[in-house]
Amino acid sequence: MEIIRISPGTEPARIVKLLRETDRIFFTSTSLRDAGQSDYKNRHRLIDLKTLCPLYNEMGLFSAECHGGARWHVGILNRRESPFEELRTYRRTMPNVLLQTLIRETNLWGYRPYPRNVIEYVVSRVDIDLWRCFSFLNDVRNMRTVAEVVMSRGKLFEPAISFTDADWADNAYYLRVVDEIVALCGGTDEIILCIKDMAGVGSPERIRSLVSAIKDKYPDLVIHYHRHATDGLALPAYRAAVEAGVKIVDVEEDSLCRFYGQPPMLSAYAYLTEAGFKVNLNVRLAELAVQKVREWINHYDWAESPFKGFDYMVVKHRMPGGAFPSSFEQAEKNGFLHLMPYILELMSYYNRIVKYFDVTPGSQITWVTCSGIVNRYAKEHGEAGVRHILDLLRRFVEEKGCDFSAMSEEEQEELLELFKTAPGDFKNLILGKYGKLPAGWPDEWVYRSAFGEEWEKKLAERTEKSPLETVPELDLEQAFRDLKDKLGREPTEEEFIIYLMHPKDALDFFEFFEKYGKASYVLPTPVFRYGLRKPGDKVEFTFLGKPYTIELVSVGAEHDGVIHVVVKVNNKTRVFEVATPRVKKKEVRMAKGPNEIGSPIKGNVWRLGNPKRGELKVGDIYHKGEEIANLEAMKMETPVYAPFDCVIEEICVKVNEPVVEGQLLFVVRPLEEYTPKETPTNLGEEVKD
Amino acid sequence: MERKIRKILVANRGVPAVRIMQTCRDLKIPTVAVYSTPDRLSLHVFMADEAVHIGEGPPLKSYLHMDRIIEAALKTGADAVHPGWGFLAENADFARRVIEAGLVWIGPRPEIIALMGDKKAAKEIAKRANVPTIPGIEDPKSPEEVLEWMERSRITFPIMLKAALGGGGKGMIKVENAQELPQKFSHAQSEAYKAFGDASLIAEKYIERGRHIEVQVVGDKHGHVVHLFERECTIQRRNQKIIEETPAPSLDDDLRQEICFTAVRLMREIGYDSAGTVEFLLDTATRRFYFLEVNTRLQVEHGVTELATGLDIVDLMIQIAEGKPLPFHQRDIQSNRWAIECRLTAEDPKTFAPSFGTITRLQIPDGPNIRISTGVYEGAEIPPYYDSMFMLIMSAGADRDQAIRVMDRALSRGLRVDGVKTIAPLLISIIRHPRFRAGEFSTRFIEEHLEELISTFKEFDPDEEVLKIARYVAEISALGPQSWM
Repeated sequence: MEIIRISPGTEPARIVKLLRETDRIFFTSTSLRDAGQSDYKNRHRLIDLKTLCPLYNEMGLFSAECHGGARWHVGILNRRESPFEELRTYRRTMPNVLLQTLIRETNLWGYRPYPRNVIEYVVSRVDIDLWRCFSFLNDVRNMRTVAEVVMSRGKLFEPAISFTDADWADNAYYLRVVDEIVALCGGTDEIILCIKDMAGVGSPERIRSLVSAIKDKYPDLVIHYHRHATDGLALPAYRAAVEAGVKIVDVEEDSLCRFYGQPPMLSAYAYLTEAGFKVNLNVRLAELAVQKVREWINHYDWAESPFKGFDYMVVKHRMPGGAFPSSFEQAEKNGFLHLMPYILELMSYYNRIVKYFDVTPGSQITWVTCSGIVNRYAKEHGEAGVRHILDLLRRFVEEKGCDFSAMSEEEQEELLELFKTAPGDFKNLILGKYGKLPAGWPDEWVYRSAFGEEWEKKLAERTEKSPLETVPELDLEQAFRDLKDKLGREPTEEEFIIYLMHPKDALDFFEFFEKYGKASYVLPTPVFRYGLRKPGDKVEFTFLGKPYTIELVSVGAEHDGVIHVVVKVNNKTRVFEVATPRVKKKEVRMAKGPNEIGSPIKGNVWRLGNPKRGELKVGDIYHKGEEIANLEAMKMETPVYAPFDCVIEEICVKVNEPVVEGQLLFVVRPLEEYTPKETPTNLGEEVKD
Repeated sequence: MERKIRKILVANRGVPAVRIMQTCRDLKIPTVAVYSTPDRLSLHVFMADEAVHIGEGPPLKSYLHMDRIIEAALKTGADAVHPGWGFLAENADFARRVIEAGLVWIGPRPEIIALMGDKKAAKEIAKRANVPTIPGIEDPKSPEEVLEWMERSRITFPIMLKAALGGGGKGMIKVENAQELPQKFSHAQSEAYKAFGDASLIAEKYIERGRHIEVQVVGDKHGHVVHLFERECTIQRRNQKIIEETPAPSLDDDLRQEICFTAVRLMREIGYDSAGTVEFLLDTATRRFYFLEVNTRLQVEHGVTELATGLDIVDLMIQIAEGKPLPFHQRDIQSNRWAIECRLTAEDPKTFAPSFGTITRLQIPDGPNIRISTGVYEGAEIPPYYDSMFMLIMSAGADRDQAIRVMDRALSRGLRVDGVKTIAPLLISIIRHPRFRAGEFSTRFIEEHLEELISTFKEFDPDEEVLKIARYVAEISALGPQSWM
């Protein structure tokens, strides 16, 4: 079978026509984006991912999803990789493949709604062929600006409907969304529709029914099904989708698969082929890609989700695959991993009280709100308190059908406590700041709970408008000047776009490059993460075509907060001073010899010398039995006396310094051994003249 | 009256000390270094054949401490003292005491130093030798007296107030108009008093967009005086030279001949008997030049003259001090190359804040037509007590463009300094600036173009980038995975 290739630069209408007419099924690889996000917190590095590109270039993929919000943000924060560098690399190493991004309608690759002029500026400057665009509210109005810019640039626009499985999300609902999309895009000739099953909750028959409904109404509409494997039913769902008319599905290398990303490429190929479909894939190359992944995937064990295994319960809590590892990581870091089952359960009730789609930024709002509520109850009332509120919610949602008035007065009061400390984004969401909610606004009690006495005033502020109409334009020139001031130089356009998306994190990111150059692009993953482990270990790489070897010679001991690291760079020895972030540990000197006076107790030095003679100084002579210091512990004073006639040689503590028992206070010299000598010159004082 | 010099004590540190010792090595004359406590590991100490510790960091306790220096010379058996530049180089009292101690002073006679140190007297002598001087009034007692002089001599603002005993750019204040005169007058007086112990001033016409031209002269003890052509030192910051070159791009041959012979005439009048420099201010608008001062010492920028003429000025100073006649006549001196010097200081290139510390990495430029005069080595410290200039970078070429392009290579691809900040980025921006390339600039070039110069600092260098990567590897090897990962 001759592989069909769809190259960058092909007009959208021609691509759509080809897909309508072909009998083939196409794969989109998400390995460069969503796969790594869903199981590895987006930590897969460009240096590893790009090893797949030569294979992708010939494999017959419809597209490679390699770009998107979280990949972008984690690149800036954690991998120190620029999304622009990634695109340049992919363009160079797989020129035959359509590069695909996943973009949020008004939040683009950031987290807040951007004004129209920022969207226009940014979208028109990123080298992407295929723009998959979604709204977590399915508020199609919000897609207008992205759609206009993408389509007028002759790029392929792929509007997505966010999919979930809920009573209100029936076929009729989705058909209304599709109607709006088709109207927005002027028909079905230049777009592909995506069904975005970001949590992996569409059962095979549910998906078959949805696709059939859409195809019945829009037979010419090309449909791309995106799905996560979380519920364990991805492959049968794919078969059902394809049987109903879907042309493209998303996959990743089998060796990359864990639980929450896309289904395995070779399995999907085998399963669909057996079912009688022609899949446009060079299997030999796909097998090589699966092997290729094994060369580096073990370097990322540390980045895997701490929560392992498929999770059919996803159909209730609906956490999207892309949010799994980061949510669990956060829970682990902040010590509430044990509360995760409660949080997931709460989410399954929450999404029936406030109805929208759990995908960015909605999934973040859900996560912060729900984990916040559970943590609050756990802190205030323990796990029993958490169980109590979950029980209350279960009854409210499942038995009373979310009818607030059906609850007892006492229960109502408890419900009103629920959103008292909800985050600002939750409040913005229910006030319409992100757009209109897909299944209507939440009930009144939710506003009473979130805003307290102010609720009526706030409710009056609620808007049905799209943020595209309400977010004021940004003064781009001013923003550019701001960045220039912060950098102290002229920013590049790429830097400016990164700054527009993530103003705070961008500066750290630029600083990393100032300081470490292209370390994140040339160093292999184990070295990037762990450095060179022992003397003699080396790392080799090519930079601008020249071979370089960095070899570790030695890592010195920490001294004054500094470690000296000796490395050889192409045989030339270099010493680097590395400041340690740890607070310098102060070594406690203990009194040892007869001429060292130690502290008799654990306490606080509150006086050096005695009131008669004033503060004691180096060179002072003290007589046997004379008080030379006084310590305080538990409001009791303990004097320290001179053990014999002596001269103070060194004072080892300061006033108000806490000391331990036996800690060295002074070094003295018996008076009979002492011969006066010239006072050493004090350099510090002389600097002044 | 010839007296063979057998051992030279160099009463200096850093770049000048190292420079002088290099010629001494050529001449197989042993050298003695002196050093202060913070300089104990400095390059000049180890360049010398032996060294004497003379005191603590502050110059008054060491490099300006005459007794200790003369004592060090006597103790080590040195029979001559070379003062370099700065510190005691133009101190007549020191020269006198060196001579009284029975040592050879490698420099002009103390009387000449004293005479030229007095700006009023120097100007008088210049007038006597028919050397044009900037119209001015000496020792005005009040602002009113300045105004009267201006009216009488038809001088218009701006004018310059200077300390009568000043030099090296200190105590010079520009006055823009009559309103600010009284306040600036008293300010100049108090500055002059603080710096030189004498509040007397000179008021002079201020030459706008002036260019700084100086003539290198050598004279021996037999009455021969020749010039080694001119240098242009117009690129300055706050009256401190930064870039010097020879020939002066602002002169044509006629003016060059005239200015050089004027300098010789003056030095002959004085009876000058060492290497020295006559400084002029050139008014490009009128093509007139005015006498500024005589520097009775080796100049920082002498190296460009050496590059262009092939002579060794330090060698000449030693020969003259030994009583030998100049080994050439004026007609033997040829300046047949273009040479440029950049002064590398340890300062922030944007703010000029001094940057002290250890030089953790030093890559010294090399390749054709580059000459480096350094005072440091990799691992050396730049102490806070002294001049921040630690290296002179010189380049030569058949013409100005060639010399500049060699300098560009030296600065941008050769020189690497880590550990302290240097003004290298600023120097690169200057030599690349179209106005500099065209030779169109005044002493105010840097202040007029500072922002523009700073904006072109960044440059990509592959070796530099790889060291950044190596730094990353070193840090992670020492500290392990980072929280940001």
